[in-house]
Amino acid sequence: MNQRETTERRTFLKVLGGIGAAAVTGAPVLRALAEDKTTTSDEFFVLIHAQGGWDVTLWSDPRNEDKGLVDPATDKLVNTEGLRRWVDDAEVRPGEHTFKKVQPAGSKIVFGPGIGDLADLYDRITLFNGVAVNTVSHPDGTAFAATGRHLAGGRVPASSLDSLLANEFGTGQLLPAVSVRFPSAFLGQDLDRRAMPLLVDGIGSMGRSLARSNANTTVADRDAVTALLTQEAKDLAARAHDPGAMNGFALQLSALTKMLGGPVQQIFDTTKLKAAQPTFDYTGRFMGAFAPNFAFAVEAMKANLVRCVSFAMGSFDTHTSNYTDHGLKLQETFDQITELVRVLDATPHPTRTGHKLSEHTHVIVVSEFCRTPQINLTGGRDHYPNGSALVISPKFRGNTVLGSSDLEQMLPISSRTFGDGLRAATPADVIATVLGAFGIDPRKYMRDGEVIKEVLR
Amino acid sequence: MKTRSLVFGLFLLAGCAREPAPGEREVPSVPASDLPGHGTLNQDGTPKEGPRLLPVEVYIQFYLDVFGGLSPLGAETLARGKDGALFDTWRDYLASLGMPDYEKDIARVGQTNAMMLASFERVGVSLCDRAIERDLRGATLDKRTVFAFEPTKAAPTEAEFAARFDVLHRTFLGYPAALAETPRTKRFFDLYNATVARHTAKGAAPSTFTPTEAGWAAVCYGLVRHPELHTY
Repeated sequence: MNQRETTERRTFLKVLGGIGAAAVTGAPVLRALAEDKTTTSDEFFVLIHAQGGWDVTLWSDPRNEDKGLVDPATDKLVNTEGLRRWVDDAEVRPGEHTFKKVQPAGSKIVFGPGIGDLADLYDRITLFNGVAVNTVSHPDGTAFAATGRHLAGGRVPASSLDSLLANEFGTGQLLPAVSVRFPSAFLGQDLDRRAMPLLVDGIGSMGRSLARSNANTTVADRDAVTALLTQEAKDLAARAHDPGAMNGFALQLSALTKMLGGPVQQIFDTTKLKAAQPTFDYTGRFMGAFAPNFAFAVEAMKANLVRCVSFAMGSFDTHTSNYTDHGLKLQETFDQITELVRVLDATPHPTRTGHKLSEHTHVIVVSEFCRTPQINLTGGRDHYPNGSALVISPKFRGNTVLGSSDLEQMLPISSRTFGDGLRAATPADVIATVLGAFGIDPRKYMRDGEVIKEVLR
Repeated sequence: MKTRSLVFGLFLLAGCAREPAPGEREVPSVPASDLPGHGTLNQDGTPKEGPRLLPVEVYIQFYLDVFGGLSPLGAETLARGKDGALFDTWRDYLASLGMPDYEKDIARVGQTNAMMLASFERVGVSLCDRAIERDLRGATLDKRTVFAFEPTKAAPTEAEFAARFDVLHRTFLGYPAALAETPRTKRFFDLYNATVARHTAKGAAPSTFTPTEAGWAAVCYGLVRHPELHTY
């Protein structure tokens, strides 16, 4: 960089710093400019991580032929009792029947029996099959599915999709992103600190943090303390070399008053959530424990408190005889997602009069990888570097499948020509496509990934 | 006389401007900007890092030390008290305080969020309230762990408040309140007075604390949750 460029850059930064300082010291117009980064939107996002690695042969990439490496699921390998879409098909071994593929009338998508009620919503489903995850490690695949980047030296090198969506659309919300054991990551100085996902281990456990006793001091007493601390943080930020952390504190402290005073405590109370959303299956054998997350998502969106709710469900890590229940786990998962869509269909949008929540809610379901096509010696399936992703979004074309895997090895095969040539889609492409659906250039946040325009409306 | 002094002065000046002696080094009168490497201002290019969050265990250990050298279970028992209204168990707050939970495979939280601040408030309020109950209700001065001063009988003047606030400020933030970069003593004095006023007002909500206790409790809440305590 030459002398002239250095000087000009420094002058520019001085001017920028001057604007920032003036904004902090009180000029209303400049303050408004400084706060211009607040982002609002009418869109909502629900991100689900099927934790452990799901078996795509039972739902998105159904295999019922004994071909190549593929050992198809049979009624001996899988517990078919209660698996509503399981219909016996050919005998692959003496006395062992595989299943009939599920394809509702009008559907271009062929499902496996684990799809449950979701098959009925085929016209709203966009499926990515044969996704090249290139890993069989849980942490690596999880990071790749959520961020579009593999781990680097054991660390997550990029922000997860929920952080990016919260940054783009949610900084004006009280809770831009709530993450219930979803592999959320927030990295980089270019993201607004308000977009940092609120990481919680369970919806109900958060209620305790928000509980307060008025036996000794009152709400007004504690609010006055919070107001003082907010001002302290702002003043310290104004004097700081690096004001980011103190500004972050100020924002979070000001949000605290709203969290303690408004309806937030209600939406973190599982008893009240169950009463408000009674149609989710809270007693499901495998996924009942995750039903409050769905109810939370609906109630929080209905109250316009969140922008993005992300959570994990599982575990689908079935290496041994626990594989027998894999189909039922998938069915319960997709049944819950179906119910979510139905509830969203019946719920008015909080800010768009005459619109339903489902018209502005985008559901993305991913897993770190899939399971081996062959059955191992203990009757289970191990990790396999192939994957699927499910999107239910008004921005995406329904009844659409992109990509596939090969018939004998079930590995991803090239699905389309990307900017860097013919190849299979990767999790980075899935994330880039979600961003691209809203006109966001993925390069703003991502190193890899390309928008797959043909799946977008 | 004046003329003679002026001439003498001129002679002195002429003496200063003499030619350098042979072999003596002459200092060149060159602008600094013409010298190689001096064309720009020196700037420290080393990367600077802003205030950082410490691992939450550090805060919990700090709380244990400040509120009486307690063990974690001791602090839990103290904070819960007999009524159990102010606190539950540490386990209920592990994730929201940002601690890793290896049982549930939840990673450590590296940055604060609003829920973490809510949890810190819950912990801070409970420990401050119990410290009020212990220190300001009969404990002799040498036995007091947090409020190591005698509250004034009447409403404190600003100077009286400042002396007592300084004790708390040094305890929680580790340096004299007078050195704070913000008008902190004044702000906390106003907070104290406003809290006392709320508790003495007609129709005030019933409280187990006297107005003075409520005032000092509010000051304690503000220091135990201060952003300077959570960063370094």
